[in-house]
Amino acid sequence: MSSEPLLNQLIESLRCLPGVGPKSAQRMALHLLERNREGGLQLASVLVEAMGKIGRCKQCRDLTEMETCAVCVSPRRDQTLLCVVESPVDVLAIEQATAYNGRYFVLLGRLSPLDGIGPAELGLDQLAERLEQDAPEEMIIATNPTVEGEATSFYLQRMAQKHNIRVTRIAHGVPLGGELEYTDQSTLAHAFGSRRLVD
Amino acid sequence: MSRMQLEPAYVLHSRSFRETSLIVEAFTREHGRVAVVARGAKSPRSRWKNVLQPFRPLVISWSQKSDLGTLAAADQVASPPVLQGQALYCGLYMNELLMRLLHRGDPHAEVFERYRQALSELAAEAPPQPLLRVFEKHLLDATGYAMLLDREYGSGAEIQPRSWYEYQPDRGPVLSVGPGEGRVSGAALLALHAENMQAEYLPELRRLMRAVIGYHLGSKPLASLALFSG
Ligand SMILES: [Zn+2]
Repeated sequence: MSSEPLLNQLIESLRCLPGVGPKSAQRMALHLLERNREGGLQLASVLVEAMGKIGRCKQCRDLTEMETCAVCVSPRRDQTLLCVVESPVDVLAIEQATAYNGRYFVLLGRLSPLDGIGPAELGLDQLAERLEQDAPEEMIIATNPTVEGEATSFYLQRMAQKHNIRVTRIAHGVPLGGELEYTDQSTLAHAFGSRRLVD
Repeated sequence: MSRMQLEPAYVLHSRSFRETSLIVEAFTREHGRVAVVARGAKSPRSRWKNVLQPFRPLVISWSQKSDLGTLAAADQVASPPVLQGQALYCGLYMNELLMRLLHRGDPHAEVFERYRQALSELAAEAPPQPLLRVFEKHLLDATGYAMLLDREYGSGAEIQPRSWYEYQPDRGPVLSVGPGEGRVSGAALLALHAENMQAEYLPELRRLMRAVIGYHLGSKPLASLALFSG
């Protein structure tokens, strides 16, 4: 702890970042003050602007500074495909790793009754509205393979079926480059359960 | 401080604790519901990440100084029941019931065995309603809310299959003039008592159990029920 109140406040504030403890916060603060004031000022002004301007897309709920995000407005994206994910980080992962060219819906969570998160808390009525008014041909469910993710997936399946939309679920199984011996029991059981014909 | 070793357990629920840890609510056979901190369990490389999931048959070791214990080991001992769709909702519902009705540290070995049994029946795609009703009945029994099912409250007269009753949640069945709102048939009460429920009794028994459990849980409703209504 320094005796400088503003310096302390800066160090404390930096700790809101994930993985930043008191020691690294102190190092960051000193680095900015002693070696990179310009970078610090730049960071400060971008932070203020981003925090103020970045909100949620009114269609897919991903992060965007516009009213509707770039993916949702792009005429090049396939409007017949809708991929449902738990969080914005999943959108980034899919965008970076796959050639998926449809649109998204971000749940911002998953059904978890013991945390008090039900269909209403998750805002699934917004998704229902979308399935009603702007129905895709296929809904791809990409929730995580956890218990809550599976429960969410089942709920989504039933929503889609009510609107006669084809539903697919991304596959889960043995990781590429992995070995069966080291794959955990449940993953292996799941991979076996969803085996497919090789042709 | 006490140490518990290799005790059969299921995870009921877990929530974040500090940056990388979880507080796990587990249902153990010998010590009932316990809360333990699983240090580092949230980090992607944690060996516990795949283990500390609901419905998996585990053995866990932990130490306990206060209300909150510290997890020392957790291992999966058998392949988990595969719960899909409706069966998964039922499993989550049972977990919520256990969280709400069991007090921490009260042992309930019989409920534990019934829970294990119910999970395996759900995985085998048994019709969920009868097994949930039996589970609820025994859980209420074990937690001090035993239901009177074969005799009238007050008079102690035997329940008649052809009569109708008003079920008072904290007391029991009281003879009423006929069917109607909140009434249950004697035949349904006896079927639940005998744990042998024909399909025709299931709707009224579900209403009965929702009312009785709702009464004991107070104003906060069971969140998992919202899943079934979708
Ligand atoms: Zn969007």
